[in-house]
Amino acid sequence: MRRGLAATLMALTLLVAAPVTAPGAALTVRDMLGREVTLPRPPQRIVSLVPSVTEIIFALGAEARLVGRTDFCDYPAAALGKPSVGGMVNPNLETLVTLRPDLVFATDEGNREDTVRQLTRLGIAVYLVHANRIAETVDLIARVGALSERPADVARVSGEMLRRIDAVRKAVAPFPRRRVLYVLWPDPLIVPGRESMLTELIEVAGGVSITANDAEAYPRFSLETAVARAPEVIILADHSTGTSTAGRAAPEKWKRLTSVPAIQAGRLHSADLSILHRYGPRVPEGIETLARFIHPEAFP
Amino acid sequence: MSAARRLTLALGILTAVLLAVTAVALFVGSAGLSPRAVARALAGQAGAESVESIVTLQLRLPRVVAAVLAGGALAVAGVAFQGLTRNPLAEPAVLGVSSGAAFGVVLAQILGLQLTFLQALGVATFAFAGALMAAAAVYLIAVVPGGLSIQTLLLAGVIVGIFFTSAITVLISVMDYNRLGGIIYWLLGNLAPIPAGSLALFAVLALGGCWLILRHARELNLLALGEEAAVQLGVDAVRLKRRVFVAAALLTGSVVAFTGPIGFVGLVVPHLLRGILGQDNRLLVPTALVGGGIFLLAADTLARNIVAPAELSVGVITSFCGAPFFVYLLRTRYRASL
Repeated sequence: MRRGLAATLMALTLLVAAPVTAPGAALTVRDMLGREVTLPRPPQRIVSLVPSVTEIIFALGAEARLVGRTDFCDYPAAALGKPSVGGMVNPNLETLVTLRPDLVFATDEGNREDTVRQLTRLGIAVYLVHANRIAETVDLIARVGALSERPADVARVSGEMLRRIDAVRKAVAPFPRRRVLYVLWPDPLIVPGRESMLTELIEVAGGVSITANDAEAYPRFSLETAVARAPEVIILADHSTGTSTAGRAAPEKWKRLTSVPAIQAGRLHSADLSILHRYGPRVPEGIETLARFIHPEAFP
Repeated sequence: MSAARRLTLALGILTAVLLAVTAVALFVGSAGLSPRAVARALAGQAGAESVESIVTLQLRLPRVVAAVLAGGALAVAGVAFQGLTRNPLAEPAVLGVSSGAAFGVVLAQILGLQLTFLQALGVATFAFAGALMAAAAVYLIAVVPGGLSIQTLLLAGVIVGIFFTSAITVLISVMDYNRLGGIIYWLLGNLAPIPAGSLALFAVLALGGCWLILRHARELNLLALGEEAAVQLGVDAVRLKRRVFVAAALLTGSVVAFTGPIGFVGLVVPHLLRGILGQDNRLLVPTALVGGGIFLLAADTLARNIVAPAELSVGVITSFCGAPFFVYLLRTRYRASL
């Protein structure tokens, strides 16, 4: 009986303390992979091992709480001012520990499971993210916003995102969908499949990916099949970042495929990888870029 | 000087060097802790939650232990393979045995086994099976009546190594795109802090393997005189070879399971020691255990620090040291036997 009363009181206290902002209140949340993450209080010192999350933190104006990032977190420019813990696959645990994080954002796509295990063993809370859809990106922004206590900015950032995406949808609506070949890597040919967010972005931008039927996220694809499906637009991912020219899109090879409608119509383009493959506030920018490539006539 | 006194002296000196390198490894790192902070953590005077405690006791110390165990095990495996094949260039990586073990581990990872204690045992079993398969294949390909020629053995090792590397490539090509980076990183050979339970298992396997080989050190000495001579001196050559073979595969398999394929430690360390101590395996096995630990710990300390805060893979460093060393041995000492 007494225990029951205590439990009721406890539940009441928790209800009162429910807003994440209550000082000193422990909070337990579920991350995007359904793991339970318990924090003694809202995180004040965040390390992001995910470039998209780094962008979201800055967009929400929560960057004061960001104490570390990876070498790949290169946007916005101010992110470069934060200390880096190394790569996504091999972050330096020692450097990470010295930043005294109370929460580390990681992903199951690009970070290693071993890194997550090591951090957990060291008693550092890890929040796993996983987003492959625009809706999941919006969800992720809300989650980061709740954890970093910027609920008002969530509405601002997501609202702006959805408004811009909607504008593109409207602009391309009158035009027939064009068949698009997106080339993540030319040799061997790697393309986005059904599970890739690119497939959705292309659709919103008024196209249809000719590789959308493949079950994998990023399958290797036969060039023959790609040509046979007669893409009307070809978009090459540009992997070069900053001053590095390695991985720059090479259009020459594709220009020789003169029987392909995209080449005949002059719709061969290359686009910056980082705006198309990050699930963050720059998703609209990626969609706008794609839409201009697919339907230039919609944007006079 | 008697063999026993030389062993004591050599082990004494090597242990002193190992302690010195261990001290450097514990005190140096990208966290930039002051020596006093590290000393406080080591003495248990810093709080368990403090940065210096976590960095020193949970990151650096387990990694130091893993490096010493892995280096020692690889060097002893080198001594064993060299004694067994009567071939000075035999070594787990050169013989393709590491690739066999790596194939086992990648297979285990695809099946979802990880480094928690029980699963670590599973991964180690896969690695051991792979190592044993590769070693047996090399042996069966290269063996001719009267022993193993350097040339055939090296070629057999290369072929088996290529075979298992291709087998790994097949596994990788069916693997989920997002796990690719992690597997490739693992294949480079990296040391990481290992949880205590798994570390204990690693120690048991590595030291057990070394003990098995040490027990047969005298017989390996006799085998060096040639198989016939050894048999005349009362050595059961078939049983000896089988046992040492299994023990060396166990050592290689356990190192690969817990750290990834790291090459050339088993070549560099035994050779340096032979230059000082001579051919006696009873001296070489225990000194290789300590010497290999020194070599790999020094290499890993370099790997942790030269490009900090990023890290190099320790396998890259040992290969950079080992490959030129291999060429040097091939072109100078063993020219005649080719």
